[in-house]
Amino acid sequence: MKGPENIRSRAVSFFTEIGEISYFALRFFREVFRPPFEFRELIRQCYNIGNRSLLLVCVTGFILGLVFTLQSRPTLMEFGAESWMPSMVSISIVREIGPVIIALICAGRIGSGIGAELGSMRVTEQIDAMEVSGTNPFKYLVVTRIVATTLMLPLLIVIGDTVALLGSAMVENLKGAVSYQLYFNEVFDALKYSDIVPATIKSFFFGFAIGLVGCYKGYYCSKGTVGVGEASNAAVVYTSMLLFVIDFIAVFVTDIFFEVQ
Amino acid sequence: MQKTVAQKVRLGIFVILGTTLLVSALYFIGNRQNLFGKNIELHSEFTNVNGLQLGNNVRYSGINVGTVKAINMIGQSRIVVSMFIEEKIAKRINKNAVATIGSDGLVGSMLINILPQEGTSPPIVSGDTIQSYTKIGANDILSTLSVTNENAAILTSDLLKITTKIIEGEGTISMLINDTTMAENLKLSVIELRRASSGANEAIRQLNGIIAGIDFDESVAGVLLNDSVSGEKVKKIITDLESSSGNIEMVSAQLDEYVSEMRAGEGAVNKLINDEVFAQNLDTTLLNLKEATNRLNTNMEALKHNFLFRGYFRKLERQKKKAERDSLKKLKK
Amino acid sequence: MKEDRSIAPVLELRALKKSFGDNHVLKGFDLQLHEGEILVVMGKSGSGKSVMIKCLVGLMQADAGVIRIKGYNITELGQTELDILRTEIGFLFQGSALYDSMTVRENLEFPLRHHKEKLRITETNEQLVLEALENVGLAEAIDLMPAELSGGMKRRVALARALILKPRIILYDEPTTGLDPITSKEIIHLMRNIQKKYKTSALIITHDVDCARVIADRIILLVDGVNYIEGTYQELIRSDDPKVQAFFKT
Repeated sequence: MKGPENIRSRAVSFFTEIGEISYFALRFFREVFRPPFEFRELIRQCYNIGNRSLLLVCVTGFILGLVFTLQSRPTLMEFGAESWMPSMVSISIVREIGPVIIALICAGRIGSGIGAELGSMRVTEQIDAMEVSGTNPFKYLVVTRIVATTLMLPLLIVIGDTVALLGSAMVENLKGAVSYQLYFNEVFDALKYSDIVPATIKSFFFGFAIGLVGCYKGYYCSKGTVGVGEASNAAVVYTSMLLFVIDFIAVFVTDIFFEVQ
Repeated sequence: MQKTVAQKVRLGIFVILGTTLLVSALYFIGNRQNLFGKNIELHSEFTNVNGLQLGNNVRYSGINVGTVKAINMIGQSRIVVSMFIEEKIAKRINKNAVATIGSDGLVGSMLINILPQEGTSPPIVSGDTIQSYTKIGANDILSTLSVTNENAAILTSDLLKITTKIIEGEGTISMLINDTTMAENLKLSVIELRRASSGANEAIRQLNGIIAGIDFDESVAGVLLNDSVSGEKVKKIITDLESSSGNIEMVSAQLDEYVSEMRAGEGAVNKLINDEVFAQNLDTTLLNLKEATNRLNTNMEALKHNFLFRGYFRKLERQKKKAERDSLKKLKK
Repeated sequence: MKEDRSIAPVLELRALKKSFGDNHVLKGFDLQLHEGEILVVMGKSGSGKSVMIKCLVGLMQADAGVIRIKGYNITELGQTELDILRTEIGFLFQGSALYDSMTVRENLEFPLRHHKEKLRITETNEQLVLEALENVGLAEAIDLMPAELSGGMKRRVALARALILKPRIILYDEPTTGLDPITSKEIIHLMRNIQKKYKTSALIITHDVDCARVIADRIILLVDGVNYIEGTYQELIRSDDPKVQAFFKT
């Protein structure tokens, strides 16, 4: 009888988790529009999340564009369709690969960071200390971080996409003797608003998911220093899963609103 | 505190960089689709758009000048394609330009090519509809090609016949190649004229013979008793004469027409004037005709005065008048 | 709920109960802290001292019982009123709980952020921070990060932070835990000085007998979730009760 009970308790804890995250998100929306606003902390978090991830995102994006182009070239050459490289690479990167890869990288860097930071603040009673000093720690710690990730991720993704396209253009320039100007002319020829707009909207949700799960895991961290590690780890795992779910929904919705003309 | 200021500056740079990239990407894409800048709308109607989509490029002499903005079906097979054309280029496109649907390379996306046409025409203005030309697909080209081949075969054989005819044909025919009906008519007329005039001559010759046989000085009874055969002959002659004169009438009417045409120097007939042989023939015929008619008239007058034939001639005259009226009516018609 | 403030305790707990599942930590704990008094609550680890103090400031929700701070029942207060009342209370956490991402200065300024106007504090942040740091003898550490401080310095900075709003009541949660005996003595000395200087009431939770001996006006022994015995240090060490003896002899 241990099996079914195990499944049952797992199911219960799964739905409890979903419910708690939903409540956490609800609390975020309740508090985000209610003063006082922690602008200074928000800017600090934006800096931490945005600027400090920039190098990582740029390096990843550049290599992504480079490798993607190098790997796709032979296949397209077989069809004699090398001239399609810019449009193919740009559409894949802008629509899908760029946002998802960069969001996953950020889930690893930012999500785990938030989970660990809030987790350690929880176990060292810093969050309690804030509360007794008359500051709402949820507003100060959670709201600022979620807003920061939500705002910063689209920017990181735009920059990452651009760098990826630069990497791709470099490969084309060296291997295919395509000038940068021609490459980007073709890129902008191929791209439409129905590529960029949904991808940008999607990246806001990616940012929100990274902030939300990281904060949730950290904020309700327990069991001391072991708990901090667990929170940081769970933040990355849960966020990555959530990112793919969001991506699936986003593609689905995009199909309905942008493709059917 | 210093640290926070530096942070703010760097964050500001980062945010501006990201936003600029996003906005410029949006701008460049919009620019490619001609969302900014002044555009004019241009329409063209097709029966088949071959999978053309909204946003496809529009090219004028190979330059990208706009995009497809709308594709609307009107009726069963008419499709109106609306395009946005850059205003500055639109000044160079004339109203007689032709739109065709093509593709960007072998596997490329569809596009609309606007082709300039010869001749002068005012430049297009917004809302204009230009002509379309449905380009033939590869299959159509092949099937058309086979039909063209067959046609070419027929054409060459026809051409061969024509050239042979021209070579074989006499002056008039070759000249009249382009006006076969006219030539045919003329030919027929001439033949008829000849036949009529020869018929008239024959009749007159016979009549003369009979008349010579009649002794005017002898009594009427003698004539009647002696020659009942002659009477029969006279009757037949008179019938012949009737039909002959009818023929002559027709021929002369036709001839009049041709002659007047000739005098006016119209069309192919004009060229006939230079044909000496024909003109000579025509002259001779006319002369013959004139002579025959004159003689006929004399003979008739003589006959009329003969009391024996008087009653018959009166009857004949009445019939003739009636026939004349009928023929007049016919002519008028 | 308003009683005569001069006589009434500044802080009062009545029949406080708290349990985590089947583990009943507090089973009806009573406590009264009077104006200017230093009360020490002693007990073994896991006896529910920390739970009690967290219930007291509203970090935990008690299952039953009445908590009154300056006559106000905190369970009846809204978040805003609770936040204002909390400015009257300084709290020194067990592990100092300094904000790692902020400098000492920023740590000290943190409680001032929202309450300066409400409390009609006229001094600048700079003045307040310096005054608080001078009280704990750490004015030179103002621009250091918590990670650069030793355990004793952290505790002193935390104390300074607890004092920055000049609270009437200070709660100490294990103020000497994890410190060497000399540093412990320094901290206890500091606590006494502050007590004298600002005439505050203090509630100290500890299992450190030395601390209790030096500073306590009155000691409550918390055993098995209830107040086991109450009295001055002298009274308690003379007690024959084996549980009390076991506690003070070790």
